[in-house]
Amino acid sequence: MAETLKILTRAVGMQNSTAIDTYMHGGGYEAMMTALHKMSPEQVLGEVKASNLKGRGGAGFPAGLKWSFLPRKREGDKQEPRKFLVCNADESEPGTFKDRLLIENDPHQILEGIIIAGWATQAAGCFFYIRGEMPQGAKIFQRAVDQAYSRGFLGKNILGSGFDFDVWVCRGAGAYICGEETALMESLEGKRGQPRIKPPFPAGYGVYGVPSNINNVETYANVPHIIKNGAEWFKAIGAPSLPGPRLYGISGHVNRPGVYELPSNTTLRELIYDFAGGILGGRPLKAVIPGGSSTPVLRADQIDVTMDVDGLKSVGTMPGSGGVIVMNDTVCMVRALHNLMEFYAHESCGQCTPCREGTHWLELLIARIEAGEGKPGDPERIAEIAGNIMGRTICPLGDAAAMPAESFVRQFKDEFDAHVKEKRCPCKATPMTSRI
Amino acid sequence: MPLLKIDDQEIETKAGETVLSAALRSNIAIPYYCYHPALSIVGQCRMCLVEVKGAPKPLTACSTTVTPLPPDKKIDGKYDMVVSTKSEITRRAQRSVLEFLLLNHPLDCPICDQAGECQLQEYSYTYGDPASRFDFEKVHAPKRVEIGPHVVYDGERCIKCTRCIRFCSEVTKTGELTLAERGVHTLVEAFPGRKLDNPYSVCTVDVCPVGALTSREFRFKERVWFLQSANSVCPECARGCSVRYDTYKGDVLRIVPRENPEVNAFWMCDYGRLLSERLKDIPRRDRPGIRTEKGWAFYSFEEFWPIFAKRLQASGNSPFGAVLSGRMTLEEMAAYKLLAAKVLGNSAGTALNIASGADDDLLIRRERRPNLAGARRMGIAVSEENCDVAALLKNKRRAIIIREDVVGDAPVPQRPAVVKALQETELLVVAGDAFTATAELAHVYIPLAAWHEMEGTTVNFMGQLQKTARVLLPPRNRRPFYDAVSAWLKASGEEAPEGGFPAWFAEVKKAVPELSNKSLRDLLPRGLKLSEVAP
Repeated sequence: MAETLKILTRAVGMQNSTAIDTYMHGGGYEAMMTALHKMSPEQVLGEVKASNLKGRGGAGFPAGLKWSFLPRKREGDKQEPRKFLVCNADESEPGTFKDRLLIENDPHQILEGIIIAGWATQAAGCFFYIRGEMPQGAKIFQRAVDQAYSRGFLGKNILGSGFDFDVWVCRGAGAYICGEETALMESLEGKRGQPRIKPPFPAGYGVYGVPSNINNVETYANVPHIIKNGAEWFKAIGAPSLPGPRLYGISGHVNRPGVYELPSNTTLRELIYDFAGGILGGRPLKAVIPGGSSTPVLRADQIDVTMDVDGLKSVGTMPGSGGVIVMNDTVCMVRALHNLMEFYAHESCGQCTPCREGTHWLELLIARIEAGEGKPGDPERIAEIAGNIMGRTICPLGDAAAMPAESFVRQFKDEFDAHVKEKRCPCKATPMTSRI
Repeated sequence: MPLLKIDDQEIETKAGETVLSAALRSNIAIPYYCYHPALSIVGQCRMCLVEVKGAPKPLTACSTTVTPLPPDKKIDGKYDMVVSTKSEITRRAQRSVLEFLLLNHPLDCPICDQAGECQLQEYSYTYGDPASRFDFEKVHAPKRVEIGPHVVYDGERCIKCTRCIRFCSEVTKTGELTLAERGVHTLVEAFPGRKLDNPYSVCTVDVCPVGALTSREFRFKERVWFLQSANSVCPECARGCSVRYDTYKGDVLRIVPRENPEVNAFWMCDYGRLLSERLKDIPRRDRPGIRTEKGWAFYSFEEFWPIFAKRLQASGNSPFGAVLSGRMTLEEMAAYKLLAAKVLGNSAGTALNIASGADDDLLIRRERRPNLAGARRMGIAVSEENCDVAALLKNKRRAIIIREDVVGDAPVPQRPAVVKALQETELLVVAGDAFTATAELAHVYIPLAAWHEMEGTTVNFMGQLQKTARVLLPPRNRRPFYDAVSAWLKASGEEAPEGGFPAWFAEVKKAVPELSNKSLRDLLPRGLKLSEVAP
């Protein structure tokens, strides 16, 4: 069996890993010093672009390319245009818990990545927006920020480079939607957390209307390693469509749930059976959600694919946030979908019509099927409603709700039909309390 | 400029123009709810989704700008964007969004106050499915919420288009409203401790495309399809907002703003709008009267004029003191001038400048009368702000008060000095649409048609000339002042323009040279901008 990587997670389990001395003892902040003292912002940007680092938040957009959208000083300009970075630590996707591990175990790694990104884009500072339900993480990260200020790694004229950069830690107030980049910015500004219409994109109109770049925690955490070891080293890890180390958080019916750092050319089967120790109780596998609850679900016979973009695309799904949810044969798929849809209906911000109304309708339909009161045609209607939400909303939450609904019904049509026909669950699972 | 093709129509777009705005000005129907030309674009309702050639999914027409393509990438060799409003993709998007909007919307149109002027009804008819597929209990939300003193909110009918919220944050900049809750429980609320009570609050009812916001004064008064409407001008300040009066069986039930970029954009203030309520309280008399020692005697007009002419002759020929009003139309002012020259002994009238408060940033003007700018143009003196009427009538044996300023905020006989001045006259003629305390002091009362009961023209403070309409027929024999003047002149043996408004408008044209080559048709619907300086 292959070993897990020890790049992003190297500090996990280490004593006193959140202290700046521990981090620097292991070579921490060297990449930042290299960047600030030996590399121009353009060189740093070029290295990150060359590494093909893809966003780890779920959409997988190339990070270097995103940075390059920020406006830069042009010839004749007196000063650098004002702009901000945002670190999205609002990790709320069901099944995803990798960022939390990084924040709570190795905050300086993230912070170093943020400072390097700040140098590459010449930003004024970074808002670290952390999920409200992670008070411990907020405390740890704030302490890391304070330590970095005391060492002169943040603030005015960092290490004599002439570069000023600040980091502000902001806590969310408990809404899934605030993980969406523009909703996060609205929330940061103290407004109601709901996505903005795009364009304009954050690179043109971001936090407080200032051009902004937003990346996921894990994305920033990768940056110091790219600067330290080079883009070629980074690209050599994993499959070309998703290079670099990647964190997979596996949960559900496996013997050893947890976060595993792996190259993306690891197969889903290896993750489940080798690393996570196989299915709980030795029972047969039934279904896997490969990248957070919003990604289309897979059947047990579809897990012999690598967990990169191409591999997962071949079975009609995507890497998403790397949150793998494993379900064995005791799980009622209708019930599982009901659980998910209750979440999406609850978390829909309510501003745009298809998501606000559609998620609610889906929840009611699924609940009805689960309660044994489904009508013929209900499974087909779920798929149709999901199709009417898909691609018609302001932000991806609509898609995020539609994709599981559509895929659950498509992949487990028999089970949905059986519920409707026999008016009970064929796997004898206890229904959730019916809402009807 | 980018060339846009919508269905079969080619449209030359303006820089940065959106698909929806290009479609609207080309009379292509794209349904929408949250879009409003005066408000920011949010793309929330998703009703305007259209198929754009080459785009992976339908796009909202309201937020999609037409951007030029490089010459070698043009679609069909010439278009920068090709949009279909009738394709299967567009139709399906429209149908599904409407279905979603109606899921939790009460389908009780028969008892909804918006019925007949509801965009949800109209689009359902045009774009929707005839049957509902939603067989669950609808989500319930607060109904009849008094969100402000003049506005009532119904959370179930609300489609969360946020036009009202954006109106309050972007137009009045008072920011009372917000969305609250999430998902299907989302609703519009005033912030804690606040009420929707800005001076323009009822405009939220105008922008609401459905029956979620209703005006407390108008709601459930009448089904809108029974209303009779006429376009006119608001008389409540120097802005002279373009308005529409909606009436039913002789009553003004509501006044709503009309779009006029030259005057009021899309809005009007609550004070002007609630004139419909104040009209109910005006004391009126329908017949002309003459007061003697024995008290008031009222006559028909046929009987009145000869008696009045005699009374007038008996009163000598000293010049009349004349108090005029900015509520008189230009035609009435022209009539006054003719009357003054021929019968009133060359009296020099003064129009009262009634003022209160301050100009605001939006519409409301400190000058509270609609046609004082017109008076200045007609060569009629306008008094100082809130001047002393007693001083105007000092040493006048005869006096006439036309359209006494009473409906608003400043009736003439507020001060004992004024009453004394009025009582000292030998002949006091009051011509007005209300039988007021001042009229009680008069010797002669001539009832007039009210502002909304006559045709006329008026000039606002920016020089915009607009036409008022005869929204309602005046009761019995009440006439505009110009008609009364025609009869008066005739009874006094003078020649007078005959034929009502058109004849007197011709008199106005003589006084305002700019109008000489204009016809009444030129005044509709937005009016005519007169040059800056009064001739």
